[in-house]
Amino acid sequence: MNNNWLAKNTFHYSDFKDLNRLVEEKKKKNLKISLCLPTLNEEKTIAKEIIILKSELMTRYSLLDEIVVVDSGSTDKTRQIARAYGADVHKATEIFPHLEPYKGKGENLWKALYITKGDIIIYLDADIKNIHHRFAYGLLGPLLLYDHIKFAKAFYDRPISVGKNKMRPTGGGRVTELVIRPLFSLFFPDLTQLIQPLSGEYAGFRDVFERIPFPIGYGVETSMNIDIYQKWGLDVMAQVDLDRRIHRNQDTKALGRMAFVILKTFINRKIRLGLIDLKEELFDEMIQYNLVNDEYQADIFKIEGHERPPIIEIPEYREKFKIDRTQIQKRREA
Amino acid sequence: MHNFLEKLPALVDEIKSLKEIIITNIVLIGQTPAPTFREKKRSKLFMDRLAEFQVDEVTTDGYRNPIGIVRGSDSSKPPIFVLAHLDTFFEKDQPINYIIKENTITGPGLLDNSLGVGVITSLPAIFKRLDLQFESDIVLAGTIQSIGKGNLRGVRHLLKTWPTPIRGGICIEGVELGRLNYSSDGMIRGEIHCSVSGDRSNLDEYTPNAIIVLNEVMNEIMNLKTSQRPRSRIVIGKIRGGANHGKIAFEAALGFEIRSDSYKIVKKIFRHIKDIVEGISHENEVDLNLKTISNLRASRLKYNHPLVKNSAAVLETLGIKPFSKSTESAQSIFLSQKIPAVTLGITHGENVYKDKATMEIEPMYKGIAQVIGVLMAIDSGVCDEQ
Repeated sequence: MNNNWLAKNTFHYSDFKDLNRLVEEKKKKNLKISLCLPTLNEEKTIAKEIIILKSELMTRYSLLDEIVVVDSGSTDKTRQIARAYGADVHKATEIFPHLEPYKGKGENLWKALYITKGDIIIYLDADIKNIHHRFAYGLLGPLLLYDHIKFAKAFYDRPISVGKNKMRPTGGGRVTELVIRPLFSLFFPDLTQLIQPLSGEYAGFRDVFERIPFPIGYGVETSMNIDIYQKWGLDVMAQVDLDRRIHRNQDTKALGRMAFVILKTFINRKIRLGLIDLKEELFDEMIQYNLVNDEYQADIFKIEGHERPPIIEIPEYREKFKIDRTQIQKRREA
Repeated sequence: MHNFLEKLPALVDEIKSLKEIIITNIVLIGQTPAPTFREKKRSKLFMDRLAEFQVDEVTTDGYRNPIGIVRGSDSSKPPIFVLAHLDTFFEKDQPINYIIKENTITGPGLLDNSLGVGVITSLPAIFKRLDLQFESDIVLAGTIQSIGKGNLRGVRHLLKTWPTPIRGGICIEGVELGRLNYSSDGMIRGEIHCSVSGDRSNLDEYTPNAIIVLNEVMNEIMNLKTSQRPRSRIVIGKIRGGANHGKIAFEAALGFEIRSDSYKIVKKIFRHIKDIVEGISHENEVDLNLKTISNLRASRLKYNHPLVKNSAAVLETLGIKPFSKSTESAQSIFLSQKIPAVTLGITHGENVYKDKATMEIEPMYKGIAQVIGVLMAIDSGVCDEQ
């Protein structure tokens, strides 16, 4: 196991608080940077995210070139509010309209690759209540200042007490500790060094994101970690402590469904990589029970687990970004 | 002055072009808790934001009020102060989350006075955008320990120890747009605490109940005559006590405020309340303590003071109808030190003292333009004439 990685490639957002330096690096390298916010009914938080990030990282420091919202069909005022505060807003179904539409965060992230212009794309969840511009510049720091780093992932303080008046951050949430970490320990021990592999905030170079598949739903983070690790190795990855993030609480059943999708994504990856051979198909229903009037009733959630291919394989994308097949071949060889 | 008045309406759109910066400052300040006496985090943020906007000097005074100074072009002119109190009535020292919608911002402590503080931290960026240069130094201050038991200690210290004369002051409050305060009532806020000893030998039907005793005090206070001229009034604003529905209350406390145009009347009413408290304490054999929480002397500018007249003209030029009422804000400390000052409100809002305090965003830009207008008026010398 490459256990130096944790020490070498783990940063704190304050390592990158000299924003002038980041702007200089961005200019020197002639890079464009896009921020993408995937949304579904986020009217309570979306405006704050756009305003703070626009104020601090566009108006005051020209780090971001665009803020793009890709919406899964919100029924509240998310799109209207985002537009009012100057974001470039798209409905996911209107991007690649000829493809069968799916609904999920992964779908939005994947489609965002087509409509954004940046060489670097930052993905932030749109439900961050305590949004601060460190969420974006913290992730950009390693990408701009370290040439070998191509992908940066967030982790946060989830403080536990370690003695009187002492707190320290620990690992991830329940799904991470009960599902992902055991799986990584069994199959990809290197990846256990990711403190919070499921965090929804990350940034990377376009030429990384365009070459990996995107599961539609919750599995997107798991598959992204595995695919980037498999294709380019651990050293292109970094993780950044972004301090605290106030999460929306999820109940255990919702986390159970999340775990189902993640397990399915994980097992499919293992099959695809030829690392395991499953003798029969996996089922695609998550079954949970509720006690109603002294009777157990099943709640069945059909979760098919669709996946989008690497977007570089989509002709419209190649055309827009002027990539020809020989380039793809060359990149593959590289 | 008149030239500048003509230009004022056009400034509103210029100020609006900085909306992301202004709203960000309001939200970042507002989401940083600052209960009275625990303003340290917000104070640091206030200074950090001013430093980031390249204010010429950022420091604290001897009482730890954070201040930023935008240097003026004429060092012979005394400084002009723009201030808002940093502390909020919202007691919880925990992260706060504001919600921004299309036309509103909502969150605890927003209107009193995170909005005012956020606007002050935005002024350097606004000066720059409007290409404004003042003759006087502009001192941007977030004063600590203002509310309740704070008793305006921060601003008292700041003004008392400032080493030079002060040309004039603008106090900023979140609401209400159109507010043009130039007088302060005399005021005493007090608390009466009733304590019944728990180890009395007669813990039976004769044990006095602290709540009932305070009720007696309240009834006597309500019987006091308050005068119409000078105006005066007594407000019973807070009460707490007891531990359980079925137990005699051993502790209870009552908060009140006396206000009047005349501080003499305020003191006279306070003496009456003191007599009532002593009498009832004696009759019921309980401990009744009367404590002063805060006090202010009455002070006012005349309506025809050039600062008041010019401020009203600024508001009217912007289409804001000025209205006036007495305030117990930092302005009274300016006035008591013979420094002309007014208090201005920034926008419209509701639920001022509730968790869901909500401000309207759009009128705020006019509210900020009026602050710039009054600053220009003071810088042009309207406070120097008297």
